Order: sequence, then C-alpha cells, then structure tokens
Amino acid sequence: MNMDFTDKRFLVIDDQAMAREALRSIAQTAGAFSVEFACNYQDAIFRIRNNTPDVILCDYMLGDGRSGQQLLEELRRFKLLPDETIFMMVTGEQSYEQVVSAVELVPDDYIIKPFSPDKLLLRLERILVKKAFFADYYKERRKQEFARALALLETKLNSTAGRGYRFEIMRQKAETLLASGHNTAAEALYRGILDAGEFPWARAGIARTLQRQNRLDEARHEIERVVASTPYYFDAFDVKATICLAQGDTDEAQQVLEQVARKTPRNYLRKRLLAEAASLNGDTETARAVMSDVIANDNMPGAVLAEDRLALARSHVAHDDRIAGEAALIGIRDSEVQNFSLDNQSSYAALLAICCPERGKKKFIGLRPALMSTELAIMNRLDVLHAALYLNDAELADRQAESMMAGPDAKSAFSAMRKLYALYGREVDFRELQKQVALRRIHHT
Amino acid sequence: MQKLLDILASGIHDAKNQLFIAESLISDAEKRHSIDLAEARYALESAANRMSRMLTSYRVMRHESRLSLLPVIVSDLCAEIALDQRNHLAHRNLALDVECTTDEAWPLDRDLVIDMLNNAVQNAGRHARQRIRLTAEQQGEMLVFKVDDDGPGFANLPPSRGTGLLLAAELARMHVRRGHCGSLTLSNGSPLGGARFELRLP
Repeated sequence: MNMDFTDKRFLVIDDQAMAREALRSIAQTAGAFSVEFACNYQDAIFRIRNNTPDVILCDYMLGDGRSGQQLLEELRRFKLLPDETIFMMVTGEQSYEQVVSAVELVPDDYIIKPFSPDKLLLRLERILVKKAFFADYYKERRKQEFARALALLETKLNSTAGRGYRFEIMRQKAETLLASGHNTAAEALYRGILDAGEFPWARAGIARTLQRQNRLDEARHEIERVVASTPYYFDAFDVKATICLAQGDTDEAQQVLEQVARKTPRNYLRKRLLAEAASLNGDTETARAVMSDVIANDNMPGAVLAEDRLALARSHVAHDDRIAGEAALIGIRDSEVQNFSLDNQSSYAALLAICCPERGKKKFIGLRPALMSTELAIMNRLDVLHAALYLNDAELADRQAESMMAGPDAKSAFSAMRKLYALYGREVDFRELQKQVALRRIHHT
Repeated sequence: MQKLLDILASGIHDAKNQLFIAESLISDAEKRHSIDLAEARYALESAANRMSRMLTSYRVMRHESRLSLLPVIVSDLCAEIALDQRNHLAHRNLALDVECTTDEAWPLDRDLVIDMLNNAVQNAGRHARQRIRLTAEQQGEMLVFKVDDDGPGFANLPPSRGTGLLLAAELARMHVRRGHCGSLTLSNGSPLGGARFELRLP
C-alpha cells in the first residue's frame, strides 16, 4: 500500500492563526504535499465542498460556539465527506476522548496536542490501513446493498486481518442490520458488544432496536442509562426524545430536546425535532420560534426543505396567524409542490385551506377521497384533521381521529387531537370517538 | 468547586496549545537546519503529559473521572509507547524491546493507558543498566502489560509509590469488565533481573 503522503492535500481547520501555522508545519514535516487553511466553520465547509482534501486536520474548538464535532456531523449530514477522505480531530485536552468514546458519529481518529510529525504519520498510516480493509464494505453500504455489505462484514469478522477491527466490524454489522430493518438481529449483536465493553453507543443501539420493535418501556430504560452516564452524547438525547414521543410523553420529549438544543444551538436537525415535539405538546409558541430560527439560519444550500416551510406554516396556523401561514406556504416552489409525496401534499392542501380558503379549499376537497382511505404520517394527519374541523367536514375529521387513535401514533397524537376538537367546540364528539375505538379494540381481542 | 476544575482544565488546555506551537517551531528548525532536537521535543511532550496527569489525578481524587473506552489494537498501543520512548532511551544508551503477542483489540482508555505505560517505561529508564522490555499478552480474560528492567530492583517491597503510580493503580482499578477489575503490581520478578511493573486489564 502507498503510505506516502507526498501527493496528499491537507486542509487545516483552526480559528487560531498560530495554531494553524503549527499544524501546517507539522503536516509538512510529516510529508504533506500541500496544506490549505480554513479559519472558521463556514470557510471549512466551503473548501471541502469545492475541492475535497485528502486529509482534514480539524481543531476541536473552532470558536463562535462551533466545535469540530459539529462540523463533522454537518459534513456527514450533507454527504460532503467521501469515505477516502481522512478526518482527524486535533485537541488540546482529553475531554474530547469522552465524546469520541460515546457517540455514533466519530472521526477517523483524534490526536492530542502536542504531538510530533512522527506521531501524526503513525496515526495517519493506520487510518489508511483501516480504510483499505473496509473499502469494499463502504462501497456496498453507500449503495445501500445491505445483504452484500453484511456478507462482506461476516467474511471480515472471520479473517485474521480483521481481528484487530473486531469491534468496528460488529458495530458496522449492527448498524447495517438496523438500517435494513433486522431489529432483533441488531439487538442481539448490540447486546454481544455490550457484554465485551460498556460502550454508550452500543447501549443506545439497543434502545433504538427496542424502539423499532415497539418495546418502548424497555427502550426508555436503556436510553435513560446512556443519557445519565454520558452527558456529551447529544444524539442519545434525541433518541430519548423520540421514544418519549412514541410513549405520548410529549412534555418530557420537549424538555429533553430543549436542554440539548441549548448546548448545540446550531444543530438544526435537532431543532426540527424540537419543533415537532413542541407542536405535539401544544407549545405552539416554541414550535413557531424554533422553525423560524431553522429557516432563517440553517444556511447550507439545500438544507431548508419544503417540509420545513410546512412546519413553519403549521406553527403559524396554530397561532391563528393565517397571513404568516400563507406567506410560509408561498415560500414553497411550484416544482416542489408537484413533487410532493401524498403526506406533504395533504399537509400543503390542508394548511392552505385554512390560511387561504379561496385558494386551498378546492385542492383540499379534491384530495378528500384519498384522505378518507390512505395512511398518513402523524403530523400530516393532524393538519388534515385541523382543516376538516375548520371546514366543518365532520366525517373526514372523525375518520382521521379514529385512524390515529387506533394506530401506533395514538399516544403521541392524543393531546394535540383533543385540543383541536376543543378548539372547534366538539369535545363531546371526541370523547364519543374515544369510547368507540376502545370498544372496538375490546371486541377484537 | 466545578469552577476550579474548569479553570485548571482551560489553563492546561491553553498551555498544551502553546507547547504544540513550540514543538512545531522546533521540528521546523530541525528540518531547515538538518539537526536533531528530538530531546527538546521529548521534554516538551513530557511537560504536557505531566499537566494532563495532574488534571486526571485531580478528577480521580474528586471521583469525577470517567473512563473513555475505545477498542484499541494492542500492538498499535505498544508501537506508540516505542515511538514515544525509544529515541529518548537510546540517548542514554538504553534499549527498549517491545514484544506484543496478541493481535486483538481491547476496550480501554487509550490515552490514560498510554500515559501509564509511558510513565512506567520512564521510571524503568531511571534504574535500568542497559535494557527495558515492554510485553503485552492476553491471559484468559485479562490483557497483561509488563515493563521489566535490568536495574537493581526495588529496595523495599512494596515500594513507596509516587503520584504517577498511585494514579495508575487507581485507573487500573477503574477498568471493570464482566465482574473483573484491573490491577497494578510492582515486584522484583523481572527476568532481566530488575523491577517489574505489571498492569492487568480485564
């Protein structure tokens, strides 16, 4: 294998000029062909997007409330990091080790300052060896060829060269199983890993597999343990929040997300989840403020989706601010509307029917036959329910409510449904519906 | 008290950043003038390690220390100790042999274990006549590191322990797995004739 770095392009990311110089000098002594600089977060993303380097040396503290870990997560979110690129976190303190040992999304390695050119070289060479070992697997995984990816991992697990990568192979295998819907197999594997070592990501993995199997109380128990023992592991808080939502504990879900969002003010994926939790929790003020923040500040090209504008419109509608709701909906391009899934189409028509009946009502009524019969995701279903109540279409409204009460989202949607019925003076009908669904359940069992 | 810890941690963080700048300037000068200043860099890195160890000790004493378990390839870990120490020992005409008989990965706190072993090799270097040997092997459920030297051995057993060794013993105990916990033993059982440092991790 070519262990030479003389043809490699390095990118050094650090907000301190002296530290950047130091990293450049060390990288050059280690043999780097060329070294570029990025002095802040945005600059780093720009450079990586436009001309992906071979090796990224990124300081953990980037100033301006940003960390190298956030940058890494953002790069992965927008698929800006090819598998071949090396991402090495550089840090002056051991506390980053706590982050790396806990989280799912890790850099290729991290190195603690001060270090010599030789040490850097040793670490980089190891990463190359490891990347070469996993290269064929990464390729299949990227193409979502899960069966082939799993077969490759199985071969690697039994190979002599794979002995040192045993944990990494098992981890990748568990993640691939989870991604391909093999929940019980993934659970068994995570339990095996946990027996070999108390890795927080493995316990969070168990919680995720339990959640997929709808074993929510057990999932909650496992994730509570992770959250209590690893305060740096922010993604675990997200997992906890989604479990709470599924349990109907919308209050706890929102609290958990608010607590982490304060520590990671620029994680806009988390903020979207917070807006959803707040919305289900009936805290429409928070939902609205958070979605406005997301749309104004998640400024990577392509980051703000039509779904986000729907969420913002939803939060305005909840405040009976129909002008602002309509403005949010107008922000969605026609081409996006045409390519909407039925879920989003339903929300779009429902919200528009409320904000601007002359434009939206016809569209909404056109969808009515489909809405009477199809399954929709919870947030979209709630929008349809709202519009149906608003337009006095009791049959359509009750159909939505019944369907949610009988389905897996019953608990998370419950308080939002009840509030909507109350808003239109139909509490009595809601209780009646509840009774009927309960009775039907008894007859079925 | 949390505040004091934060002040210490951020001061040490800044100092290590500055030491890194110093190390980069030295390594730059080495390249430009084709000279070897490895001993100067070694001294800088030792100073940085001292500071980190001090912070770790403080955290352990306050029971605020938590291990960060990562699966580490044992032979890689040994190679890092060799890289950190061999050159410096050679300056004093001491040889460091490394024997690693396992190709396994082991869940351990990489930076803390590297620091413990570096410290053990440094201690051995103070008393060795000619050679020091680092071995790593798997014994059943345990991973065993030994640092042997050919010096005079400990005058008294058990020997009086400095901060580094006390900390190492505590950190070894913190490694717990499947009901076993780690341990540290100091003896005169070195086959090279001198002292032995033995770290067992579950």
